[in-house]
Amino acid sequence: MKVTIVMRGTLRKAFGAEEKTVEVPDGCTVDEALQTIGINYREVKNFGFVSVNNMRVMISDPVNDGDYIKAFSKVSGG
Amino acid sequence: MTMLGYQNKVLRINLTEKKASTEPLRMDFAEKYVGSKGLVIRYMYEELQPGIDALGPDNKLFLTTGPFTGTPVPCSGKLSVAAKSPATGTMNDCSIGGHAGIRIKFAGYDMIIFEGQLAEPGYVVIEDDEIKFVDAGDLWGKGSHEAESLLAEEYGREFSILSIGPAGENLSNMACINSDYYRQAGRGGIGAVMGSKKMKAILVKGTGGVKVPDIVKTTDRILEILHEDVLQEDNTFVYDSGTTAFLEACNDGGILPWKNFSDTTDEQWTEYNGDVLMESREGKRGCGSCGLGCGNFLKIGDAVCEGPEYETISVAGPNAGIRDPYAIVKFNQVADDMGLDTISAGDTIIWAMEMTEKGLHDFGIKFGDGEGMLRLLKEMATRTGVGAQLADGVKIASEKFGGTDFAMQVKGLEYPQYEPRGSWGMSLAYAVSDRGACHMRAYAPNEEVFAASIPPYTPEGKGQMVYNLGEFNAIKFSLCICDFWGTISYEIMAELLTLVTGREWTPEEMGEVGRRVLNIGRAFNQREGFNRAHDTVPKRVVKDALKSGPAAGQVIPPEAFEDMLNQYYEVMGWNEDGTMPEELIQSIL
Repeated sequence: MKVTIVMRGTLRKAFGAEEKTVEVPDGCTVDEALQTIGINYREVKNFGFVSVNNMRVMISDPVNDGDYIKAFSKVSGG
Repeated sequence: MTMLGYQNKVLRINLTEKKASTEPLRMDFAEKYVGSKGLVIRYMYEELQPGIDALGPDNKLFLTTGPFTGTPVPCSGKLSVAAKSPATGTMNDCSIGGHAGIRIKFAGYDMIIFEGQLAEPGYVVIEDDEIKFVDAGDLWGKGSHEAESLLAEEYGREFSILSIGPAGENLSNMACINSDYYRQAGRGGIGAVMGSKKMKAILVKGTGGVKVPDIVKTTDRILEILHEDVLQEDNTFVYDSGTTAFLEACNDGGILPWKNFSDTTDEQWTEYNGDVLMESREGKRGCGSCGLGCGNFLKIGDAVCEGPEYETISVAGPNAGIRDPYAIVKFNQVADDMGLDTISAGDTIIWAMEMTEKGLHDFGIKFGDGEGMLRLLKEMATRTGVGAQLADGVKIASEKFGGTDFAMQVKGLEYPQYEPRGSWGMSLAYAVSDRGACHMRAYAPNEEVFAASIPPYTPEGKGQMVYNLGEFNAIKFSLCICDFWGTISYEIMAELLTLVTGREWTPEEMGEVGRRVLNIGRAFNQREGFNRAHDTVPKRVVKDALKSGPAAGQVIPPEAFEDMLNQYYEVMGWNEDGTMPEELIQSIL
C-alpha cells in the first residue's frame, strides 16, 4: 500500500519540505512508515508527534492505504 | 547582605504624595525566591494585606527584574509586572517582553513599587535617580499606541514606555499594560490596577550597568551556551514562525478550540495557518538580550500588528468561527491599542456569540462576525453600548446573564486556547494555576499532545506531570528567562546564576526554588480565602463530549478531574481541601 509523508515545523529543514509518497507493507505502523524514508524518531532530537489525516495518533498506531502522515517537530512555549 | 547580579535596590514611588524613595532589596527574599516572578510574589505576600480592594489605593503595582536582567544571558529580557488581581482576587504576576526590564535595571533598581493613587491622571518618568510626575493631559483617553508614539516623540526612544489604553483607564478586568506597542503584561486586569492609580504611562531610562564577578568568564560561557543550547531547532522555530506554528499542531492534536470550546479542530485550518500568515510578514524583532527573535510584524491591508500569537489566532479565528486572516490581525491590533488582553476579551466575546445564537441574551453578535468583534472591543474598553455589559469578563457577565456552563474561566480568568478535553492535564493546570486559568504555569500539551507517546486522555500521572511542569516554569520565570528557551535545564540555570551572582547554586536548588514559588502563590491566595472549591473546571469540559478530531468522544469525567486534583495536592503536600498546612507556609517565608 502507499502512504504520503510530510515533515512539519523545523523537521522540514532536516528532512525536506516536499511530500513523499512511498510504498509500505500492509499493516505497518507510523513508526515503520517513517523508517522507510530514513527517519527513526528515536534518533531525531526535536521530533514531536505524528498525525494521520490531520489527526494526532500514537506513533505505534497502524496506517492504511492512502493515509497522509505528518511528522511535527517539538514546540515549546505557549 | 548584597549579591552581584542584583542592584540591591528597590525604588518605591508613592503616587498619592508624589514622592520617591529607595531602600535595599530584601536579599533574604532573593536568596529564597531569586528574582522576578518568585521574588515579587514573596513581596506581595509581605506587603499586600489580605482583603484589600485590588483597585483601591492599598494595592501596589510591582515591576520586578531578576539577576540576569541587563546581563548578556540570552532570552532574559522579560519583566514581571504584578499586583493583586481585580479579575480574580488572587495574586497576579504577568511577564512582559521588550526592553523595560533592562532599562529599570540600568536605572539602578531591581524592583519598582508603585503605591497609592495619583489625584489626577498622569505619568511617571524615571531617569536613573530622577523621578518626575507629569500630568497626562489629553493623553488620557487615547489608545495605547498613540499614547506611546506621542511620549516617544517627546522623550525619545532611549526611554522604555509602559502604557495603558482606554480599558485600563476604565478599570476593565481584562485590561493589559503595553510596552514597545505590541508587548503586553496581559492577564488578570493588571492594566486596571495601573488605571486605578491614574497612571497612563511609566517611562524609564537607565545609564548604568550590572556587575557580575567575572565579566570575561561569564560572557565566554554565555556565548558557548548560546550556540550549544539556545540556537538549536527545538528553540529556533520561533524565529521562523513564532507561535503561529502551534495552530496546525493544535488542530491535528485535537486541542484547537472551535466556537467557544464547543468542539475542536477545523477542516479549513489551512486558510489561516502559520504558513499563510507568514506570507504577510513585513518585519521581525526580539526583546532586549534575546537570542531567538520571535516577533513577527504582519500587515494585511490596514491591519498591522506584531503577532498574532497562537492565542489570538485561535480566539479571534476558529474559536469565534472566523477563518479570515485580516479579521484576526485587525482584532489583535485593536485589542492592543484599546489595552485589552486578547485572550480574556476574545473569550468573553465568543461567549456572547454563543449566548446570542442560543437565544439566551442578545449581545448583537454571532459566530463569524469579525466586524462585530472590533466593535465590542472598543465598547468594552470604553464601557459603552453592549460592550459595557461585557467589560469585566465572562465570569461576571455569565453570573448576570446566564450561560455559566459554557463560560470558560477559572477563578474569573478566561481560558487560554488549549482545549483540555484533548489534553486532560491542561484542565488540572488551569484549575490549580495561582492566577486563574493560565497556560503559562504548566503547559501540559507539551507532554500530552506534542510528544510522541504520552497518553492525553487519562488522569493517570497528571498530578505529578503538572507539578513538574509548574516547578520548572516557576524557577525559569523567576530568572526572567523567556518561555521560548525551551531546552534550558536546571543545570544551565544553576551554572548561569552562579556565574552572575558569584554564589554557588546547584541544579537541585533550582527545583527547590520552583516549588517554593508555587507554594508562596498558593499561600497568598489562601489568605484571600481560596481553597479547593476554587480549583474548578468549566461544566462544558466535564459534561459535553467533543464531536470532532482526534479527541472526538472525549469528556473529562468529574471523578477523573477530582482524581487529578487529589494527585496534585498530594504532590504539593497540601490538605485534601486544597489548603496548605501552616507549617508548610511558615517554612517558605
